[in-house]
Amino acid sequence: MSRLSPLEERDGETVVRVPLTNGLTLTKGQTALTLVGILVLFGLPFLAGIVGLSWGRLFRGLLFGMAAVGLNLLLRHTELVSFGHAAFFGGGAYAVAVLAAHLDVSEGLLLLLAAVIVGTLLAAFIGYFVAGYVDIYFALLTLAFNAVIFATVFRSGFFNYNDGLAVRVGGDNPTLFGLGWTDLGYDLVLYYTTIVLMLVMLLLMWRLVHSPFGRALDAIGQDRTRARFIGIPVERYVWISFTISGLYGAFAGGVYALQRLHVQPEPTLYVFVSGEILFMAILGGFTTLVGPLIGGVLLVYLLEATRFSFYYYHAPIGIILLAIVFFMPKGIMGSLPDILAGLSRRASDPGLLGDDLQTIGSSIRRSLSRATTTVRILVFGVR
Amino acid sequence: MTTGSHEPRDDGAAGIDRRDALKLVGGSAIAVALAGCAELLEDEDDAIEDADVPDEPIEAGLQTFLEGAPAVLGVQAEMGAETAVRRINDNGGVAGREIELDVIEEGEEALENYQQFVDDGKDVTFGPISSGNHEAMVPEINAQGVINVATDGTVTTLYEEDHPPEDNTYSFRFQNHDVMEALAAAVEAVEVLGVDEIDTYAGINPGYAFGFDEHEVFSAGIEQLTGAEEVYDGFPDLGADDMSTHIEAVNSEEPDVLFSSCWGGDATLLLEQGHGAGMFDNIELMVGPVLYGSANDLSEGLVDGPIRSGSRNFYWDEPTTDRWSPAADLFEEVVDEYDAVPTAHFMSGYGAVTAWATAAEKAVRLLGRWPEQDELAELLVGHGFHTPAGYHTMADDHQCYSNAHFGELAWSDDLDAAVLENVTVYAPEEVSPPQGKPSLEWIGGW
Amino acid sequence: MIDSFFVHTLNGLWYGFILFMIASGLTIIFGVLGILNLAHGELYALGAFVVFSVVGYATGLVASPEDPVSAVVFGVVVLAAALVAAAVLLPVGAFIEAVFVRPIYEREEVYQLLLTYALLLIFVDVMKFGWGTSPLDAGTYGGLNQIPTTELAGFGYPSYNIVAMLVGLAVFAWLVWFFDRSKTGRIIRATAINRDMATAIGVSTDRTFTLVFAMGAFFAGFGGAMVSIGPQTAFLEMGLDPLILSFVVIVVGGLGSLKGAFVGALLVGVISRWAIWLYPAVELAAPFAVMLAILLVKPEGLFGTWGEIE
Repeated sequence: MSRLSPLEERDGETVVRVPLTNGLTLTKGQTALTLVGILVLFGLPFLAGIVGLSWGRLFRGLLFGMAAVGLNLLLRHTELVSFGHAAFFGGGAYAVAVLAAHLDVSEGLLLLLAAVIVGTLLAAFIGYFVAGYVDIYFALLTLAFNAVIFATVFRSGFFNYNDGLAVRVGGDNPTLFGLGWTDLGYDLVLYYTTIVLMLVMLLLMWRLVHSPFGRALDAIGQDRTRARFIGIPVERYVWISFTISGLYGAFAGGVYALQRLHVQPEPTLYVFVSGEILFMAILGGFTTLVGPLIGGVLLVYLLEATRFSFYYYHAPIGIILLAIVFFMPKGIMGSLPDILAGLSRRASDPGLLGDDLQTIGSSIRRSLSRATTTVRILVFGVR
Repeated sequence: MTTGSHEPRDDGAAGIDRRDALKLVGGSAIAVALAGCAELLEDEDDAIEDADVPDEPIEAGLQTFLEGAPAVLGVQAEMGAETAVRRINDNGGVAGREIELDVIEEGEEALENYQQFVDDGKDVTFGPISSGNHEAMVPEINAQGVINVATDGTVTTLYEEDHPPEDNTYSFRFQNHDVMEALAAAVEAVEVLGVDEIDTYAGINPGYAFGFDEHEVFSAGIEQLTGAEEVYDGFPDLGADDMSTHIEAVNSEEPDVLFSSCWGGDATLLLEQGHGAGMFDNIELMVGPVLYGSANDLSEGLVDGPIRSGSRNFYWDEPTTDRWSPAADLFEEVVDEYDAVPTAHFMSGYGAVTAWATAAEKAVRLLGRWPEQDELAELLVGHGFHTPAGYHTMADDHQCYSNAHFGELAWSDDLDAAVLENVTVYAPEEVSPPQGKPSLEWIGGW
Repeated sequence: MIDSFFVHTLNGLWYGFILFMIASGLTIIFGVLGILNLAHGELYALGAFVVFSVVGYATGLVASPEDPVSAVVFGVVVLAAALVAAAVLLPVGAFIEAVFVRPIYEREEVYQLLLTYALLLIFVDVMKFGWGTSPLDAGTYGGLNQIPTTELAGFGYPSYNIVAMLVGLAVFAWLVWFFDRSKTGRIIRATAINRDMATAIGVSTDRTFTLVFAMGAFFAGFGGAMVSIGPQTAFLEMGLDPLILSFVVIVVGGLGSLKGAFVGALLVGVISRWAIWLYPAVELAAPFAVMLAILLVKPEGLFGTWGEIE
């Protein structure tokens, strides 16, 4: 096979070598999905309206999803649950807002750079303190840092309390690439710039997790003591991965500020936003690279849009999440291969549907008997 | 006709005849209905009948707090807006077009909600309650060009400094900015106790932008009027679950005047814990600009003590319902429909819809067709209209300047609800700076 | 100054006891099942709403408090109502455990977070359906304050606070007795320490877990009820902050430790009330600052005994 062709045989399967990744490969199916995904991303401003979706909302979903991709570096590899990633998202957003509102910086890319720097430094600072902790202590420490930052911003006149800061210098949108744009032009240029940067960052994340450093993080996640024993500087590596994961959140927050043009503490810094970022990663499929991105789009869309369709608008979101927990046991992207395989098996062998019905029937019977036991316990207690 | 020493700018229609009333409110069916004088109507309105107006209903969106602690204010605004819409539709709609009102939870997503409203093709939007949310929305409103009339969102500098009229076309606010009520509280304290009796004051205000603003304005006002000294300023969290620390601080300082802009659950918590800890024995007077916003959550024991509350630009019994039938009709309608006493936030919703609807009808009469957004926006500036709360003008800076009400918190056994007694009405020019003048600078010149 | 210090400290203790009552359910569930129940705050809120309905009925049966005797009767009725409200949470908790939580014990722990978050959202709408959107006040605080307590010792302090502290103390004492002395409590502890061993000696872990979850829900609801009969109102979003504060309390105390949760709650209560008194600006941050300080100095919390109720 020619060196120039991206195709090669590996373990009896044709795979596609991805450029710029040092030999990482995708299967044919994955390649097709990736290409479709990229096409959809680039067509989104024009496609969203056609299918009745709001492009701006999808954009925000992608941004929160990007923060979740960052968080997922910790969740998937070092197995640390962070309840404080809104600190970096909000930190990035507020870096943009403060520079625009207080120092009259009006170039969007400069603001975005500042967001990344500030948010990453914040992550490095917090990461320094939390890197030695595991489990719930880690989760709650990140939460506490997040809460203290939120409280500080919320009650400080410099940040204009909860009213927040506008990202407009003299009432105008920031410039992008040194140019002023119309409202639509601004949104489009910001979106495409973000998409390009986002794809690059995803590629880098992919390379990172498959690098020796990424393997070391996996080792840390499985067993810290053993990792330390084989010579991995555990705390330092966790610290570094924490900082990198914060960087992704800071970038996303910076773009969020540029997109929304007004930054307030509750939608960016509140600890429940941290929780939402975490849930995005889980529901999208935290064992995958792009799952958190999908999770972000879905959750943001649900949180913003259900109120326009339902009077009781919290429960539908809850029910969808329940369905994901029970019917997509590895999250959306993680379960996709199983679901697709199952569907294709049933397409070729309809007889399997009968088995499905039996399975459903027996699981209902099981839950009924469980419920009976529960009632018995309630009435007679534990003996 | 008012019980206080301050006459409102317009004293309503207690003794005027039909023709005057029609002329006064602009003469059209819905303007009269919204002013609360539907029975005055007799003539058909020809200019409107002939106008070229689309058949389909007006699609309107309202976002307000429908759940949780701020729902105390938000649901009142919803009732107000719905009542105005009901009255409009019962009287043939705006130039024949009925209004369909979609009501949505504001949450933290007011900007996003507004965008969705625009995407859904709304002709006009109302809300939000939160001042920060309102601030975030104003530039977007001007970019989208669909008129929004805010029900509340009373951050002080919004229309004076941040979005002056030359930068603002489509965003309006029915309520006055919050300087009005905080200053009215200071003036009220002086009226009640007398200048010489006020040497010290304290504040317990909710710990967010609104509370900080109100405290600053009140402090500037009372210090300018009396030279009093601040002995305590506490800022419990919004939606607090405990204010005992602040109450104990007030108890130990024993200030003459306690100022609190707490509202909703915070107001009832402060009154509950204040009574529990004997706070009202340690102060001469408590003034709260928005305590009466919790009217439907107050109980007899809570309103006890030297407490005076504001009620923004509307108190349902002022002018008194005995003599002012529009107010009496409105009160009856709200009690029947919602089993609740209307508060100032009811009028926030009612007035926002009324401002827009009366202006739209005026536009149809002038143009002979349905107006574009920019034509309507232009007409809204300087637009005057009536509600049962009196006469309002949408000033050049896109906000309505209205009377401020203050009265003694009391209990009515007849209504089984909290009421205000001995209500004083302050005209806008007494308690709001002239347009374009920063508030603190203006107070400094008293 | 000295008087003020005394009152601020009392206020802190009262707040701490309230925090303990809210957090005890969370610490029981977490200590035994290892489940971080994000719907805990909603169970708390449910208790607050249910007691509103129960109290409305129950207080109609007795005279409104006029003199000390009728005030005490009133107080007993209201506390009984709080217990009834909490009891409603027992089947709710058992149902959640048996139907939703049990199938995912074997899965990665993060799915428990997603699951309990989903339940949180559903509960909000259940309460919205049941009690509407506006805040509700049980209206019992003034009546409870008629009960003679501190006046007998010659100073004025809200009697409700005293009652709440005594009830909180009783809850703590009962829980310690239950887990230390009672047979069921020991079975639960044994199961928490070693599930396989417990199963081997004939303990049904399923039943134990259901019972523990139901107990956790009971105490969450009881905390909500105790808050709701006080000066606070019951409202839809009321579960969010207590959920977070409960985390703070159980982590400060050391996970799964009842004594830790107790001491942690009182510490957070008292230190945060002092902090607000001396530096009002720190109000929102105070509990978290306390937690940061304690965890950074003592990483396992004050009484760290992971996975074991004691």
